Amino acid sequence: MSLDLNFVFRVLVFPGFTFILLFTMFCDWVERKIEARMQNRMGPVYTGPAGVLQPLADFIKLLTKEDIVPFNVKNFVFRFAPIVSFSIFVFSFAFLPIDGVNVIFGSNFEGDLIFVLTLVSIANFLLFLSGWSSTNPYGAVGATRVLTQLLGYDIPLFVLALAPAFLAGSLSISTIANVQYIPFAFLIPWAFALFIITLQAELEKDPFDVPHAETEIVAGYETEYTGRRLAFLKLAKDVQIVLGAAIAVELFLGGPYGPVFYGSSAVWYTLWFVLKLLAVIVITEYLTCIFARLRIDQVLVVNWKLLLPLAFLSLAAAAGVGLWLNPLGR
Amino acid sequence: MTNVDEVMKALNDLLGNRIIKTRTLQPEKSYIHVQTGAHKDAVRIMLEQDKEAGVSAITGVDLGGKIELIYHIRTCGTIITIGAEVPKKDAKIESITDIVPGANFHEREVSDLFGVTFEGHPNPKRLVLPEDWPENVFPLRKEVSVANIPSKIENSEVSKGEKQFSSEERLVNIVLGPQHPALIEPEKFSLKVEGEIVREVEPRIGYVHRGIEKAAESRTYLQDIYLVERICGICNACHAACFCQTVEAIMGVSVPPRARYLRTIILELNRIHSHMLLLGHAGLEIGYETLFHYMWRDREPIMDIVEALTGNRVVASFITIGGVRRDLKEEDVPKIKAELAKLKERLSFYKRLFECDSTLKMRTRNVGVLSKQDALKLCVVGPVARGSGVDMDVRRDEPYAAYNEIPFNVITYNEGDSWARLMVRLDEIGESINIIQYALDHLPSGPYRVRVPRTVPAGEAIGRVEAPRGELFYYVKSNGTAYPERVKVRTPTFANIPSFVRIAEGGNIADVPASFVSLDPCFSCTDR
Amino acid sequence: MAKLSPILREVLSHVFKKPATRRYPEVKPKVPAGFRGRQIFDINLCISCGLCARDCPAKAIEMVDVEGKMRPLFHLDRCIFCYQCAESCPRNAIKSSEIFELASTNKSDLVVKPKENSVSGGSK
Repeated sequence: MSLDLNFVFRVLVFPGFTFILLFTMFCDWVERKIEARMQNRMGPVYTGPAGVLQPLADFIKLLTKEDIVPFNVKNFVFRFAPIVSFSIFVFSFAFLPIDGVNVIFGSNFEGDLIFVLTLVSIANFLLFLSGWSSTNPYGAVGATRVLTQLLGYDIPLFVLALAPAFLAGSLSISTIANVQYIPFAFLIPWAFALFIITLQAELEKDPFDVPHAETEIVAGYETEYTGRRLAFLKLAKDVQIVLGAAIAVELFLGGPYGPVFYGSSAVWYTLWFVLKLLAVIVITEYLTCIFARLRIDQVLVVNWKLLLPLAFLSLAAAAGVGLWLNPLGR
Repeated sequence: MTNVDEVMKALNDLLGNRIIKTRTLQPEKSYIHVQTGAHKDAVRIMLEQDKEAGVSAITGVDLGGKIELIYHIRTCGTIITIGAEVPKKDAKIESITDIVPGANFHEREVSDLFGVTFEGHPNPKRLVLPEDWPENVFPLRKEVSVANIPSKIENSEVSKGEKQFSSEERLVNIVLGPQHPALIEPEKFSLKVEGEIVREVEPRIGYVHRGIEKAAESRTYLQDIYLVERICGICNACHAACFCQTVEAIMGVSVPPRARYLRTIILELNRIHSHMLLLGHAGLEIGYETLFHYMWRDREPIMDIVEALTGNRVVASFITIGGVRRDLKEEDVPKIKAELAKLKERLSFYKRLFECDSTLKMRTRNVGVLSKQDALKLCVVGPVARGSGVDMDVRRDEPYAAYNEIPFNVITYNEGDSWARLMVRLDEIGESINIIQYALDHLPSGPYRVRVPRTVPAGEAIGRVEAPRGELFYYVKSNGTAYPERVKVRTPTFANIPSFVRIAEGGNIADVPASFVSLDPCFSCTDR
Repeated sequence: MAKLSPILREVLSHVFKKPATRRYPEVKPKVPAGFRGRQIFDINLCISCGLCARDCPAKAIEMVDVEGKMRPLFHLDRCIFCYQCAESCPRNAIKSSEIFELASTNKSDLVVKPKENSVSGGSK
C-alpha cells in the first residue's frame, strides 16, 4: 500500500497537527493581548515581535521543569489523562473544514456534529479524572467542580448546536458550514448569543471560571501537575478554546466559506476561517473581562434555570425559522 | 446614650473600696487600679452602662516583681482603663472572655508573651509564638533578652503537619494557608467543611511575628518612629502618627497647627491608597481581574502625590515627634488638587459599578453577614464595624491632628454583608478627598515642627488613630530615659480577625475568600 | 431589571486606548525633587560628631577613619532611606539624590564611602 503523501501532509502539517499547534499558540497570544488591552496593560511584549512567541516560550519552559508524580496517585490515570485529553481535542479537528474541506478528506458523515460534541465532553471528563486522581484536596474539589459544571452546560450546548442543524437540514458539520450563504448568526442571532455564553462555561472562563478558581482552590485540577504533564494539560485547555471557537465558527458563521477574490480558494478559505475564529475569541475574551467569577451553586442556577430553558426555546424558534426559509417539501 | 461621667460614677459607686487608686493616663484618660479579682466586675459594670462598650486592648507591663494587666475599655467614644496586678511567680487572673468574647485574642497574646494564665479562657493555645517555642520563656518580660532565646528545638510536634480528616469523619479539614493564593501574607485558617459548607474555623496567627514591641524597648524614641512605621507598609503613616501622638502626650508637647494639617493630609492620603488597594484586591479574590487593574491604575496618582510630598511612594517617614519632617511646597498644591478632582470623577464610575454590576453583587451581597450584635460582642473596629451599623470613628469621637476643625461624614451601612463593607470603604475615599481639599484650602502658615528633647519624662499615655482598617491603639510608658519602657500596639486587624470565624461559619467554601477580603486583613499589622 | 453595568462600555473603550504600563527599563520614571534616593556625602562639611551613626534606626552608618578623622560610611544594604541622618547632621553634610537604581551583583557597589576632599555618592 503506497503512502499517500498528500494525506500525511494534510494530517501532520497543514491543516493538521502542526497548523493546529501553531494556531493554538497564536490564538493564546491574541487572547492575552486582547485581555491585556482591555485591562489597560500591555500583555506579552518581549519574546518575539510584540510578544508573539510568548506561548511557545511558556510551553518550552514547562517542558524543561521537573515532572513530579506524588506518591499516592492512581498512576495510570494521572500520567495519561493530560495527553489523552489533548489528543482527543486535536483529533476532533479532523471533522472540521478548515481550508474548504475536512482535514482528513472524506471524513465527514451524517451525525459527525454529535460525534465531535461527544468527544469534547469525553475530553472534559478526562480533565475531571486528572484532578480526581491526584488525591489532593484542592484537586478533588476542582475536579468535582469541573464535573458539576460539565453536567450543567453540556445539554444546553447540544441543544443549541442542533439549531443550525435544523436550519441546514443536516447533522454534518461540513454540510452545515457549506449551506450558509448568509451566516446563521444573522438568521438566528439569539441561538448564537446563547451558544457563545454556553461556550464560556465549557471553556471555563469568567463568569464560569470556577473549576480553576485560583484564589479558592489554588489551581483546581491542575494543582498536582508539574513539568511536561502540566505543559500538555495547559496545551489541552488552549486547544479546547480553539476547538470551541472553531465549532462556533462552523455552525454559526459559515465556517471557512467566504468570498474568494483571486488565486487558490484554499488560501482564502483558511484566511476567512482564521479571521472568523479570531473574532469569536475576541468576543469570548470580552465576556471574560466584564464578569466576576460566579460561585458553583450560582453556576448551577444559571445553567439549569436559565440556559437550559432558553436553549430549548431558541431551538424551537430556530426550527420555526428553518421552516419559514425552507418550507416543507422543498 | 450614657456619657463618661456616668460610667465613672457607676464604677466608683459599685466597686467601692475595691478600687486601689485612680490616676491619669495622658491625654486626660482615667485609669482605675482595682484589686485583682475586681477587674471582671468593673468590665461588667461598664457593659451594663454602655451597651456598645468593647475591649480596645489588653496590655501587659512588666513591673519587676509583678505584671500589670491593663484593660483598655472603649466606651462612650473614649477609653476608660482598668488595671490589675498579678505577681510574676504565680501569674493567674480570671478571664473576661465569657462576658466579652472579643477579648479572646487579646488574652491569648498576653499569656503567650508574658506568661499570665487566664482562668476560664475557652481556648488557651499559643497565639503569636510558634508551637515549638521553648516553654517558660516569655519574651516580653524584662529578664528575657532576645540573644538568649534558643533558636531551634529538635523533634518538635509542629513539623508533623496537620491531619486531613478531623475526629468527626464527615468533616474534611481544608487548610487555608499559610501559603495560599487567596492570602497575601501567611496565616493559617483550618476550615472544617462538610461538602461545601464550612462548619468550624480555627485561625492561627503569628507567622509574621517579628517582636516589634520588644525591639522598641531597645531603641530610642526617634529610632522607634521608623520601627513602628514598618509594622505595616500600607498604613505606615498611621502607625507613625499614633506613636508620635502618644509620645507627645507624655511630654506635654503640642504640635503647631500647620503640622497638624499636614499630618491630616498624609493620613487621608494613606487612607485613600489603602482603600483603593483593598477594593482592587477584593476584585481579584472574586475573580474580577478587570476591576483590580482599573483600580490600581487609578491609585497611581495618589502614590505620585505621596512621593512628591514625602520622598517615597509607600513608606512616608513624614511624621516625627513634634511635627512633620518636611513642608508642603506652595507650587505643588494646584497639582494635588487637580489629581484629586480627577479621582473624584472616577469614583462615580466605581460607585455605579458596585451598585449595578450583576456578577459583583452576586458574589458580595448577603455573603459573610455580620450582625450588629456580633460586631459589638466581638469588639470589631473600622469599616467592618461601620458596615454592620456600628457608628464608631476615632476621628469624630476623639479628634486628633486637625480633625476637630475639618467637617466630614462618618459612613455607615446597615446590611453587614461583604458588599456593605466594600461600599463603606468606597464612600470613605470620597470623604477623604473632601477632607484633603478642605485641609489644602485652609492650611495655616507657620512652623511645621517644634524641637523636642531626646529624653522623655516619665509617664504613660495612650493614643488612638483611625487607620484605614480601624482603630489603631498605642500605649507607651516611659521611664525618664531615652528608651521607652513599654510600647504596646494593638492593630485593627488583630481586633477584626475573630469576626472572620463568625462570618465564615455556615457559609460556602467559595464565599470564604470573598468575605475574608472584605475584612481587609493585614497580617503584618496583626502579628507585629 | 438593573441598569447595565458601566463596565461594558469601559472595557470596550480601553481596547483603543494606550496601555497605562510604563515601559521600564526603556522609559525611566521621573522622580520628584526631594526623592529619598542614594545619599550624597560632602566631606568638607562634616565635623565628625557621629550623630548620624548614633541616630540611624537600621545601624547602617559606620564611622571609619579617613585621614585621621572619623567619617561616616553608608551601608546601603542596611539602609532604610529614612534620612534621619540628614536631619540629625548639624552641618547638612548629607543630602539625598534621585538615584534609585541601586541593585547590583557586586556588594562593594552598595556602600557610599567618604572620599578625601570630595563629594561622594553623587554618581554610580
